[in-house]
Amino acid sequence: MRVGRRPYWLIPLLLLPVPLFLDQYQQYVANLILVYVPVAVGFNVVVGNLGLLAFSNVAFFGIGAYTAGILMLKLGLPWWVTVLPAGIMGGIAGATAAVPALRGVRLFYLAIMTLAFGELMRWVYIRWEPVTGGSFGMSVPEPSVLGWALDVEARKFYAFLVLVVLMIVLTDRLLRSRFGRAFVAIKGNEEAAAAMGIPTDRYILLGFAWGGFVVGIGGSMYAALVGHLSPSSFDLTELILQFAIIIVGGLGSLVGSVLGAALLTAAPEFFRDLPGFEELLFAVLIIVVILFLPRGLASLLGRVHPVFNDRYFRE
Amino acid sequence: MLSFLPQLVVSGIATGMLYALMALSMTVGYRATTVVNFGHGDMLMIGAYASYVLVAGIGLPFGPAIVLAAALLFLLGAAAQRLLMQPIIGGPHLSLAMMALAVGYALRGVARIEWGNDVLKLPRAYSSGVFVLGPVVVTTDDLVISGVVLVLLAALFLVFNVTAVGKVIQAVFQTQRGAALVGINVKAFHATMWGAGAALGAIGGVLMALIVPLTPDIGVATLVRGFAAMTLGGFGSLQGAVIGGLLLGIMEKVLGFYVSTVFIDITAYLVTILVLLIRPKGLFGQHATLRI
Amino acid sequence: MAALLELSDVTVRFGGLTAVDGVSFEVAAGEICALIGPNGAGKSTLFNAVAGNAAISSGRVLFRGDPIHRLAPHEISARGVRRTFQNGGLFGHLTALENALVGLHTQIESGFFHLLLGAGSSRRAETAATTRARELLALMEIEHVADHLAAELSGGQARMVEIVRALATDPPLLLLDEPAVGLAPPMRERLGEIIQRLARERGIGIVLIEHAIELVMSVSDRVIVLNYGRKVADGTPAEVRADKKVLEAYLGHA
Repeated sequence: MRVGRRPYWLIPLLLLPVPLFLDQYQQYVANLILVYVPVAVGFNVVVGNLGLLAFSNVAFFGIGAYTAGILMLKLGLPWWVTVLPAGIMGGIAGATAAVPALRGVRLFYLAIMTLAFGELMRWVYIRWEPVTGGSFGMSVPEPSVLGWALDVEARKFYAFLVLVVLMIVLTDRLLRSRFGRAFVAIKGNEEAAAAMGIPTDRYILLGFAWGGFVVGIGGSMYAALVGHLSPSSFDLTELILQFAIIIVGGLGSLVGSVLGAALLTAAPEFFRDLPGFEELLFAVLIIVVILFLPRGLASLLGRVHPVFNDRYFRE
Repeated sequence: MLSFLPQLVVSGIATGMLYALMALSMTVGYRATTVVNFGHGDMLMIGAYASYVLVAGIGLPFGPAIVLAAALLFLLGAAAQRLLMQPIIGGPHLSLAMMALAVGYALRGVARIEWGNDVLKLPRAYSSGVFVLGPVVVTTDDLVISGVVLVLLAALFLVFNVTAVGKVIQAVFQTQRGAALVGINVKAFHATMWGAGAALGAIGGVLMALIVPLTPDIGVATLVRGFAAMTLGGFGSLQGAVIGGLLLGIMEKVLGFYVSTVFIDITAYLVTILVLLIRPKGLFGQHATLRI
Repeated sequence: MAALLELSDVTVRFGGLTAVDGVSFEVAAGEICALIGPNGAGKSTLFNAVAGNAAISSGRVLFRGDPIHRLAPHEISARGVRRTFQNGGLFGHLTALENALVGLHTQIESGFFHLLLGAGSSRRAETAATTRARELLALMEIEHVADHLAAELSGGQARMVEIVRALATDPPLLLLDEPAVGLAPPMRERLGEIIQRLARERGIGIVLIEHAIELVMSVSDRVIVLNYGRKVADGTPAEVRADKKVLEAYLGHA
């Protein structure tokens, strides 16, 4: 059964005092979690709602991050001005990655092609040295919002929180509308969706572009948070982290995206000095969730209390 | 400039043999289950490490080490298929792709924990050298790789086309439901074929370790090249995998020399993208690979 | 009066195979026209050709006098040619209500940016559509399963939801692909009544592919028999029943 409008707006309010209780490093981790919320939300739109096997999310993330970084470093723009362009570049990357899907490529072939697209982008970061700084990467200037320097982690937290809430609210509106229903209809049966008058190609393009946009915004946040971008941050290990987040959290669920980001983003921080454990952990988590909890942790939370049941569809 | 061409083609064939073996080993598993093994590159990597341990650690001769590594990887591949893939085989493609990818990542994690990021070098069983044959120079590594792959290809060709078992396998590739009807245990068949793919991949891994420094990450680059070779040759076609691999190897060398060295890195990506956009069937694909 | 749907000399070839071979017929508003024939006779291909799911090699398909055979499936649907699918075709991840809402997709006026900005107009359109979808479910007496997942519905309920979904936009033409398959006899009878009411009371032209011959004979105004992609008979149920060629088509001949 559906529950009425839920008091979700309470959550960001409750989060407001959080930085007060955390030390500098913990604040950094909290910010990293905020970065990964839009990254997961955008990814989940394409994979969870539209149901397409796209392995190109890290490319959208990297393009968003590099767009913000390049605009700040080369043009001297303040960070907040670069957020929207980063989102738009992410959206354009999303639309580009949708091209094979529009040509009818599906399933594993789509996965392979989008994987190739993502790796190709990493190669571009390495080779386009005058702009991206090549393998060594580029330093991103100190971020600011309207002249207000985000020089401590707590300030970044509030700036990020605003963006995260905005991305969640907008995506929620989209998924609850005829657009979101069209996505899930396409996931279920493309031929039947078209027979309902849905221009499926246009919606696939839209889903990819919106996903890329949201992930690109996450990329701009990442650039502001870490202050240094290098190609190795956007490799296949990053892809498995992002996949683990949406699968463990719950495919096609906004709550799942948030939950997955909150639980898994911090994990690599614990394994910094233990190479290999991060990969092993994510791999085992994905395997266990696919075998025993196909709808992710969000479905468990939904069983605890229907308040957490953000149902755009059910498996 | 054109005088370099024969040399480039010969070197390209040697690396192409590796890609061919990679693509072929992936095709065997794919044809059996119609599931692409996104963790296959890491099976290859583990195979290379296994033979490293057997040769450098235990001191086994090179030949038996390869055979033993292949046998181990057969068990690993079959177990992964039977225990992790088979339970979800009718499920969403995303789960299947992610499960295979996760198995690969787990292997990579284990390799990194065990051997770290150190670059290991597989000791050779022969002294490396070069032969000059008219305009071209051939290394012993090239010869060993090409030789082993050719022997494997010939053996596989015989198995598939002459033996009764091979004919049954070919028949099951054509129709799974028919196979179940005539009493073939389809689950066991799936596991065996993934095991066979992993074993072939392991041999590829050992050969690769002759020319590439061994790290836990060698599987990924090879996976992408295997995909490119499969796509070029026609996804699911056995002979297509071989020819696609050879062509890819030659293309990398030729484009890398005449156009720009950057092509060595990205030829595989470009080939994958262009072939799927322009001619999704590839060169030898029997059926259109779209919207299956 | 111009025909609602007019097929003239429609041929569909797949490679070397001619699935539909020069078929012509017309369907008027309010008419129930059944397509029957043995398996592989080209009935489904003909449906796909009308709905835009299969490209025709030659001939024309006119809807209300306009050619539609070059349009994409969603464009044909938007013009008012709606179809159901042989194997259900419901969206299993969505509820019955949401399936009906997808059926209303083209009639929900909410623009992308209006929606993101949370404009009242989008919300009102959504509410109105939901009300309408519930009415439609009630009309078929299945409002009690509105919040059930389509994948969990019984065969009869699923068929009703599919018809609701197809009819949501008040289309002038409905293509039903084996609607009675898997239904129990009482449910088949109800389906027959519904089909007749749609044609008689709402003037919807209906093309019906169906193997349940008694259903076809009791509801149809006209029966067209296909065999090997060709039209072999066309007439009232009584005429077709008396036609020797029809018997041959079904029994086969060397």
